[in-house]
Amino acid sequence: MNRREFIVFGGTAAVLASSKIALADKWPSKSVMVISAYPPGGTSDIVARLVADLLTAKFGQQFVIANVAGAAGALAGGKLARSAPDGYTILVSGSAPIAANKVVQANLAYDPQVDFTPITVVAESPALLTASSNAPAKSLQELISYAKANPGKVNIGNPGAGTKGHICAAIISLQTGVEINHIPYKGSPPLLADLLGGHIDFAIDAPSNYLPHIKGGKIHGVAVTSAKRIGEIPEVQTVAEQGLDGYNQALWFGAVGPKGMSPEIVTAIHQAIKEWSDTPAAKEKLTSLGLTPVVNSPEEMRGSIEREIESIRPLVEAGLVQPS
Amino acid sequence: MDIFNGLLLGLSTATTLSNFAYCFVGVLLGTAVGVLPGLGPIATISMLLPFTFGLPVDTALIMLAGIFYGSQYGGSTTAILMNLPGEASSVVTTLDGHEMAKQGKAGRALAAAAIGSFFAGTVGTLFIVISAPLLASLALTFGPAEYFSLIVLGLITSMVLASGSLLTAFGMALFGVILGLIGTDVNSGAARYTFGTPYLLDGLDFVIVATGIFGLGDVLANLENEHKRIASVTHVTSLFPTREDWRRMSMPILRGTGIGVLLGVLPGAGVLLASFSAYALEKKISHRPEEFGRGAIEGVAAPEAANNAAAQTCFIPMLTLGLPGTATMALMIGALVVQGVQPGPDILSQQPALFWGLVVSMWFGNLMLLFLNLPLVGLWAKLISVPYHFLFPTICVFIAIGVYSINNSVFDVYMMALFGVLGYFFKKTGAEPAPLILAMILGPMAEEYLRRALLISHGDASVFFTSPVSLGTLTVAALLLLSIVSPRFRKVREEGLQEAD
Repeated sequence: MNRREFIVFGGTAAVLASSKIALADKWPSKSVMVISAYPPGGTSDIVARLVADLLTAKFGQQFVIANVAGAAGALAGGKLARSAPDGYTILVSGSAPIAANKVVQANLAYDPQVDFTPITVVAESPALLTASSNAPAKSLQELISYAKANPGKVNIGNPGAGTKGHICAAIISLQTGVEINHIPYKGSPPLLADLLGGHIDFAIDAPSNYLPHIKGGKIHGVAVTSAKRIGEIPEVQTVAEQGLDGYNQALWFGAVGPKGMSPEIVTAIHQAIKEWSDTPAAKEKLTSLGLTPVVNSPEEMRGSIEREIESIRPLVEAGLVQPS
Repeated sequence: MDIFNGLLLGLSTATTLSNFAYCFVGVLLGTAVGVLPGLGPIATISMLLPFTFGLPVDTALIMLAGIFYGSQYGGSTTAILMNLPGEASSVVTTLDGHEMAKQGKAGRALAAAAIGSFFAGTVGTLFIVISAPLLASLALTFGPAEYFSLIVLGLITSMVLASGSLLTAFGMALFGVILGLIGTDVNSGAARYTFGTPYLLDGLDFVIVATGIFGLGDVLANLENEHKRIASVTHVTSLFPTREDWRRMSMPILRGTGIGVLLGVLPGAGVLLASFSAYALEKKISHRPEEFGRGAIEGVAAPEAANNAAAQTCFIPMLTLGLPGTATMALMIGALVVQGVQPGPDILSQQPALFWGLVVSMWFGNLMLLFLNLPLVGLWAKLISVPYHFLFPTICVFIAIGVYSINNSVFDVYMMALFGVLGYFFKKTGAEPAPLILAMILGPMAEEYLRRALLISHGDASVFFTSPVSLGTLTVAALLLLSIVSPRFRKVREEGLQEAD
């Protein structure tokens, strides 16, 4: 669907939807579709299923998962943008279709800042820079000085082009001016295997898979990308603590609806997720996935989306991340 | 975890009620599709794959594996009784198996096949137990260069072993590579061959292509000769091999098992090569080669042992390296990845219950198959007389539901139909689709590892020759490629494949 078709379609949907908003007080009176932007099994899909289950339990209607995987979430985002904003379709996913795709995809059929109604961020996780046992640097400063002394020699693996790991490394490169070769992998497991085998020196990725190997001494934790250190490996400093002032990057997962969703429904869903995230069961489940529950408000989520987009835009403009 | 504890864990996993039941369902289905010509394990597994998404991952894999090795047993039944190989790897079994049946020794031929398969299955399973942990610990020393070389070997092997002309096999493999390139490039994120549609940004789903070509394509081809299909079933009498039979088949079973175990691990070779090689070897070293093709029990026992041994051991590179040696193994990887399990060196430490449970269930499955196939052989033979006009609508419905439920996408169903037509075309022109399917998986993997190896080495291609594993693998691949040019090898290959036709 091209942009023009989309605008026509969206307009029609908005007109159709306006008549339904009045029914919001009876919501939900039938099952609700929760779009998951990735195939079953990944972290994003697990989060979507957790949210669907908690909403089912809270509202007594089935919240049914629909996996619309593909194009880094762009197909799912497109589907949500074409849906009626009657509260019967929401999207729960990692930040790519809700934010990053706007700048990293050249032909996105929707604008996440215009076509979506933010509901809430559900959880987040920092990324972790790790080094193999025979890597030439064990700290960020060593890595930067090594990169300056050996231009073009630093390889950092990431779990896919345009992923948070890639973006985190690109920002380090942008802030310090050192040259980094980004080596993309298809997801975390092959990247971790190459790091353990010493075939690649560094990796930036979500931490959960790497923590046991850091504790086992097989690889080194170099830096945490968020503002706070990770509880399991308190000795590993953040990127900001190692000299890159203001550096703060996290992967997050959140819920959004189509443009024009009624504030009552948004609040109801937000409240339900908030209540759930305070329970010990939810905390335990999210922690086991390497996630921290971070439920903010719909307005705060709008800010999260904008920060995400604006942190990537300069990378695309500098040619460090290629739009596709 | 040592082997003993691993086996204990496997035993407790494989004997849970649901795992045991699904293992039984798997081998039962496997036997059924093995018996039915035109419905092979690839089509069945791709059809059932989406239905396993709701199962726990160990249960799903146990069932899918059961279908695969179960079909190796079922294939021999119709090969012996009706001269119809239900499965490609049973083609050589028809040569002597059906001759034996014509001489009134059908029961003994069936017993030879089943006993050979069971013995080979047991040894193959043991081989996994011993060698998989070993290979997994070695796997970390495999970097992108080693993976690339292994994949190249797999691609070349699959071409050399395809039936029909080499040029066709080469063309099919190249076409497969191109199909595999569709989608977003891993390195640059650029969209390739997507024709501007977002549906192709993630590439063609291999399950959809396989279902189309092997499922729908075979249905179309079978509809054509429906009226010609006559099911004349040889009557089965005694199922007990004589003392003479035991004496003649024990060594061939051992040798067939050995060949199968080794060839199963080789990427790209798979079960078909195992059964052909075992047959050729027995014929060559036999004291009475003239009996082959006239009902020699060795010619039944050895290839059946070999194909079943290979059907077990081809799980080794899939599980420990994440490297699919055959199209079926690529489907298994699909089943695992969907459930969030990445096959690779970590699988033993991350998913010990899955790994050991699968291994133990394989042995259980083989045991079940022994009992399913020998006493119940008459029942299976009757299955073939089910009119195809009952079967094909059912198959079509299952294929369509299965493909739709992968991504809940109607686009995928259209794609599958398109590949069904293409599969029919391949069948009519005698182009074997196996290299295409394997190349579709291995081609993009080869590209990914090649580029990664070169990125890490900063463009220095010598990495492929400085690593001993990589150099050795590439040398074997080069020799294989050279051997095609040699007229003597070509003759052997053509003879071997002719016997198959």
